[in-house]
Amino acid sequence: MRKVTAIVNFHCEPNIAPITNSRPLGSTSFLGRYAFCDFALSNLCNSGVTQVGLLVKDHLRSIMKHLGSMDSWVINTKIGHQRLMFNEPAQKDPRLNSDVNNLLFNDWLLYDSDSQYLLFTPSYLVASIDFRPYLNDHLDHQRQITILASTQRNLKTYWHGSRVLDFDENGQLVGASVNEGQFLGQHAVSLDTFIINRPTLIDILRRYAPTYPDADLFTLIMLAIREKTYAMAVRYFDGYVGCVDSFAHYAQLSFDMLDRRKADQLFHPDWPIYTLTHDTPPAMYGENSSVSNSYISNGAKIEGKVINSIIARNVTIAKGAIVKNSIIFSTVKVNEGAVIENAVIDKYSIIERGHGIKGKPKEPMYVAQGAIL
Amino acid sequence: MAIQIAAMILAGGKGTRLGALTRKLAKPAVSYGGKYRIIDFPLSNCANSGITHVGVLTQYESSALNSYIGNGKNWGLNGVNCLTSVLSPKQTEEGSSWYRGTADAIYQNLDWLDELDPEYVLILSGDHIYATTYEEMLRVHVKNKADCTVAVREVPLAEASRFGICETDERGFIIDFKEKPKQPKGTLASMGIYIFTYKTLKKYLKADALKEKTEHDFGKDIIPAMIARQKRLVAYRYGGYWKDVGTISSLHEANMDLLLSGDPAMNLYTLQEDCHIYSEDNHCTPQYIGPSAEVKDCLVNQGAVIRGKIDHCVVSSEVIVEEGAECYNVVLMNGCHVRSGAKVYDCLVGPGETIRKDEVVNGSREGIALYALGRTAK
Repeated sequence: MRKVTAIVNFHCEPNIAPITNSRPLGSTSFLGRYAFCDFALSNLCNSGVTQVGLLVKDHLRSIMKHLGSMDSWVINTKIGHQRLMFNEPAQKDPRLNSDVNNLLFNDWLLYDSDSQYLLFTPSYLVASIDFRPYLNDHLDHQRQITILASTQRNLKTYWHGSRVLDFDENGQLVGASVNEGQFLGQHAVSLDTFIINRPTLIDILRRYAPTYPDADLFTLIMLAIREKTYAMAVRYFDGYVGCVDSFAHYAQLSFDMLDRRKADQLFHPDWPIYTLTHDTPPAMYGENSSVSNSYISNGAKIEGKVINSIIARNVTIAKGAIVKNSIIFSTVKVNEGAVIENAVIDKYSIIERGHGIKGKPKEPMYVAQGAIL
Repeated sequence: MAIQIAAMILAGGKGTRLGALTRKLAKPAVSYGGKYRIIDFPLSNCANSGITHVGVLTQYESSALNSYIGNGKNWGLNGVNCLTSVLSPKQTEEGSSWYRGTADAIYQNLDWLDELDPEYVLILSGDHIYATTYEEMLRVHVKNKADCTVAVREVPLAEASRFGICETDERGFIIDFKEKPKQPKGTLASMGIYIFTYKTLKKYLKADALKEKTEHDFGKDIIPAMIARQKRLVAYRYGGYWKDVGTISSLHEANMDLLLSGDPAMNLYTLQEDCHIYSEDNHCTPQYIGPSAEVKDCLVNQGAVIRGKIDHCVVSSEVIVEEGAECYNVVLMNGCHVRSGAKVYDCLVGPGETIRKDEVVNGSREGIALYALGRTAK
């Protein structure tokens, strides 16, 4: 797959504030063990794509902390490369901080890469996708653009902010509209994942980027296909795709994974999801601990009660503490007798002895990083 | 560039008393503590001591152990100016031979050591469980201008005949050393951890190699020879946690020491930051504890799925305990599967084993059992 360079795009992430106030969604904790971008990076690694560029929007520190030298996600540490692509001038003017400007600023990709095909995939995508059949299909049909979509229902509630593909009566793609809950029935939702030939991308950027300075890359492609005929197709991924379009849905997706039938749709034994590892000891359970229907990460020490929850690395839950229907990020201390229900507790927080935190089901309460309550 | 100290880890032993666990695996590679292999401990200790050059001497079933050690990356021993070498017996100009004893293993790798030109050599055993740094021991060795420093600990008199027993003078210098004496005179036992001044060591190893009556063993030959020549041998007392896991029951006990109810000196959560234990990390999903599971006083690694009851257990990754299965005082090694209705007591379950539906393992609870190759062995 040396002909393919993949771009993991951090620009098109949904904002799931308050969690993403200080970090991109791509490096946000998921199931106590992963960061969202682990899926994109593992999909590429498992698909044999060795050249990867990361189109980073902001919060570089958080991304670098998770990625390190990136050797957790590469097959061969000599063949291929991973490059961080960061748009420095746009840091001073956030309006310019788009994936298009980032690509233009890091234009080695356009001129200095030997890859003929570029595979864009977003940092937020929760799915196990083998890109090889799509790449082969793209090559076999000598296409210029192949767009990956997923058929979804219930767009009224989910997939807000995602682009729904519009087709004409002949089934030809003619554009896309942002979902704000206006769609009924089932529709093709863009996975922000597409394969595009390098010359085609260069051409589209040259022709449209100067006229539409605020548009993102997917929008430019949609503009281009309206005006010119490309050898292109929409291909469907029919596996499981998790929806993370809001804080509430982030929590819901996490809790959905407690249903092992759903988790088995996302995690396949022959498709490992790699992540940064931390040399933490196995989780330790005390004599009076009581845990049910929960994910517990290594490095967690549990002496209290945990129900329907997700507990990350280096969390301690003291005797008599209760954690129910909650997500606890790494290095949180829940002290004796504290009770947490329907909450998301961000990193490094300390919930003091006997303190109670109670959110609503479907509307979990958020406790910010480093809080002492 | 000459270096101050190189470590040599003796990891060639079979560990006969571990039965089927070491049928296809060297003892230092045996799984321990849900996540670790025994050799992680001496290797992490080296890393935490700032030792940068480590040779691992392998022989019995060396392939799995060799690939596990690799370039030392799991322990951070692959950095700038670091070297981790797996040293297995090899063919040379003089011919070829297996390592004939602990001392011979080092003797056969004198070229490797000469290349590094260390001032001191730390000799370790790959199958001991303890978390420490060797800095203080080296300081004592250097301060005393010793030729050899032996780490020692007090053992009960009844057990003394299993160890090398030292006799020291009032300054702590060793004046007598008997390997596994039938009638031990003291209770100060060697832990098989030595620091040698390399020049002296080399001289004695070369002399030993030429001898006819020798077992090429540090405890039986090299140290007694040095005492006979009135070399400076220092006993360094170590009082921390240390286990030589030779048998199924001692391996089981060492696992249980890690639990919250176990030995506070070996709690992985309270070991000082400078005694962190490193290991290989796998790519399993986080561990999942099912709706009707009961998990009490356990250590559970990522990738395990627990739906049944586990009490006082150490559980490795990719272990499945089905709903209705129960385990008490059990070590479940990597990938084992306990089917519903099974009951397992006081047992070490080897990697990849399946306990059948409703099967009862060691129901009589007489001693610690080993479940391997599809059956129970005592």
